[in-house]
Amino acid sequence: MLVIAAMMIGLTIFGGTKTIPLRVELDSSAEVVEHVDGVIEVTIDSQTMSYNGDQWRYQETRSGKRTLFGPETTQNKFLNKENLLLVLTNASFIAVMAVGMTGVIILAGIDLSVGSIYGLSALVGAMVLETLSQSDAAWMSSGIVAVPLAVLVCCGVGAACGLANGAMTVGFNVHPFVITLGMMAGLRGLMIVLTNAESIGGFPESFTRGFFKLEVLSGIHPVPTAIMVVVALAGMFVLSLTVFGRRVFAIGGNETAARYAGVPVGRVKIVVYTLMGALAGLSGCIYLGYYGAGEPNAGMGFELKVIAATVIGGASLMGGRGTALGAVLGAIVIMLIDNGMVTLGIPQNWNQIVMGAAIIVAVVVDQSKSRFGARGR
Amino acid sequence: MKSMSRLLAVGLATAAMALGGCNKSEEETASTDGASTDGGQKTFVIGVIAKAQGNPVFKAARVGALDAAKELGDKYGVEIKIDWRTPNTEDAQQQAQFVEQLASQGVDGIAISCSDANLLTSAINDAVARGVIVMTFDSDAPDSDRMAYYGVDDTEAGAAVMEQLALEMGGEGVVAVLTGNPNATNLQARVSGVQGEADKHEGITIFEVYDNPGEGAAEAAAKMKAVQTANPQISGWALVGGWPLYTDNALDGIYDKAKIVSLDPLPLPLGYLKKGQVQVLIGQPYHGWGYESVRMIMEKRMEKKDPPSEFVTSELEFVRADQADEYIAKWNEWNK
Repeated sequence: MLVIAAMMIGLTIFGGTKTIPLRVELDSSAEVVEHVDGVIEVTIDSQTMSYNGDQWRYQETRSGKRTLFGPETTQNKFLNKENLLLVLTNASFIAVMAVGMTGVIILAGIDLSVGSIYGLSALVGAMVLETLSQSDAAWMSSGIVAVPLAVLVCCGVGAACGLANGAMTVGFNVHPFVITLGMMAGLRGLMIVLTNAESIGGFPESFTRGFFKLEVLSGIHPVPTAIMVVVALAGMFVLSLTVFGRRVFAIGGNETAARYAGVPVGRVKIVVYTLMGALAGLSGCIYLGYYGAGEPNAGMGFELKVIAATVIGGASLMGGRGTALGAVLGAIVIMLIDNGMVTLGIPQNWNQIVMGAAIIVAVVVDQSKSRFGARGR
Repeated sequence: MKSMSRLLAVGLATAAMALGGCNKSEEETASTDGASTDGGQKTFVIGVIAKAQGNPVFKAARVGALDAAKELGDKYGVEIKIDWRTPNTEDAQQQAQFVEQLASQGVDGIAISCSDANLLTSAINDAVARGVIVMTFDSDAPDSDRMAYYGVDDTEAGAAVMEQLALEMGGEGVVAVLTGNPNATNLQARVSGVQGEADKHEGITIFEVYDNPGEGAAEAAAKMKAVQTANPQISGWALVGGWPLYTDNALDGIYDKAKIVSLDPLPLPLGYLKKGQVQVLIGQPYHGWGYESVRMIMEKRMEKKDPPSEFVTSELEFVRADQADEYIAKWNEWNK
């Protein structure tokens, strides 16, 4: 939290300011008349307002968005509500999966297939949504049907992939690195086969702008962030306050001891990988709703971002340590680095250098602390 | 506590690197000679988002954007900054995030080559609704609210590749087609152009269309070699992008069995052309992708001037072995 606050203060101070035009979004009920002298008249509910054409301009886009742009105002580049929520929204795709990855890493396991599960779940969900939107029955594309169905399908596909990861890891007694590496490649290929390498779009509006990209205020889409918060709270609850959570830590701390203590090691592992898959599916569903399309390259390289968020957030790759909150904060740190590059106008190639340095420093400091701690005892 | 200290370490590393980055270079600026950002001179920022850093054609687009920023900065007496944001490899979600971030930073315009039109349409529409002028180049998002598209007519470009290949093959043979990211609308149109033109030649058969989703050079060359080895009947390759040619000596075992015509006469592909391993290279307006996009955005900003059409297309350039040196000189100019 302190680090995030420090980064935010730094970006606020050094990010500078921007000038943006005042914006008034008009709904479909507004009547707009542009006079030859430049004056723009807007009538809403029988009330007419006039805008000076020297300072205001009217824009209607092909997709039907109608906006009045007015005099320019100055804002802090970083510290404004749209940008802050954008950081959280972009973090949510990673954070939701990082909560699941925390459980996997606490077990001393790894899941390299999260990016592929995310992509496959999203594409299967996209196929279902495409079918719904093509249906003649209006109720099929209503939010009450489309949203829960898509969430169920995406999470179901993700959970099935996770279950396969867990079952193969336990059943064949093979290191999860190998199993999930194979799944990563296999699922990626399956995505191409299923979609014929074409993206899928055209979902019901009730699913996209009606829910996952719901705009509560101008430019504010809070649903992905809200889902991230709920998942983080659920993860904290499960890992800290349930018997299942304690078993996960016990296995990660010492698997042999946990087995002798009667912990059903195999079952717990399978459940953890299944939950990981389900969360990857949920994240894929958010992606579908937020961007309004699914493409076969979705989630490519996400496994590294998810693992990085988890490690930066305090999970130990040796197992036995990690928190859901830390994973979410780790994802936010990654997205703050990303956003900071744009805010500060730093060439984007520095992004990966900074990210790489951040991961190495995090692990080295952690190991140094462990060594000093051991000596102290 | 441990996780807090780890996060603190990350923050310190980040701050240090960020400050290092600040000192090195900020947004690429092309201002009027001797002009400063103070003294009331207005600054415009234009974000340029290409498909992939690894694809060298976009280097020329970047130079073009910078050249336009310099020239138009002089012309209008303003400072124009180019903020280059491009994923390392094709990643439409990353592009959408760049569009959102740039719009949130209040840039004046965005020029983008779309990796996936479906995925980017919503992000482009949101940016336009915020007052950002969006141009697409190279690969369009035709259903979006973007102002205009600049590039070649991709169907014509594909047809030109096939037409030249058919000429080289004497009007008969088996042709394999290599494309890149199959989601990219421009590549889909080019492949359809190849197929449409092939239908006009009775002796030509299209064997298969092969994807190269990551658009990596080595992967493309390896795929081409594997396909040719497994299918020796292939006597022609229609490349709708130059990916396998961004290598050196990767066509051994292919060029002696098949004629090759490709888009994108870049320096490395021009080497193959000079060696006679590739018969024709067809050029697109690489420099213009950046230059014209920035010009049209600035003309709209400064003069409220609309582009001549929603689709601003440019001519194709045909390069043969004897013109290779001339084209290499052009690249040297663009990459100065």
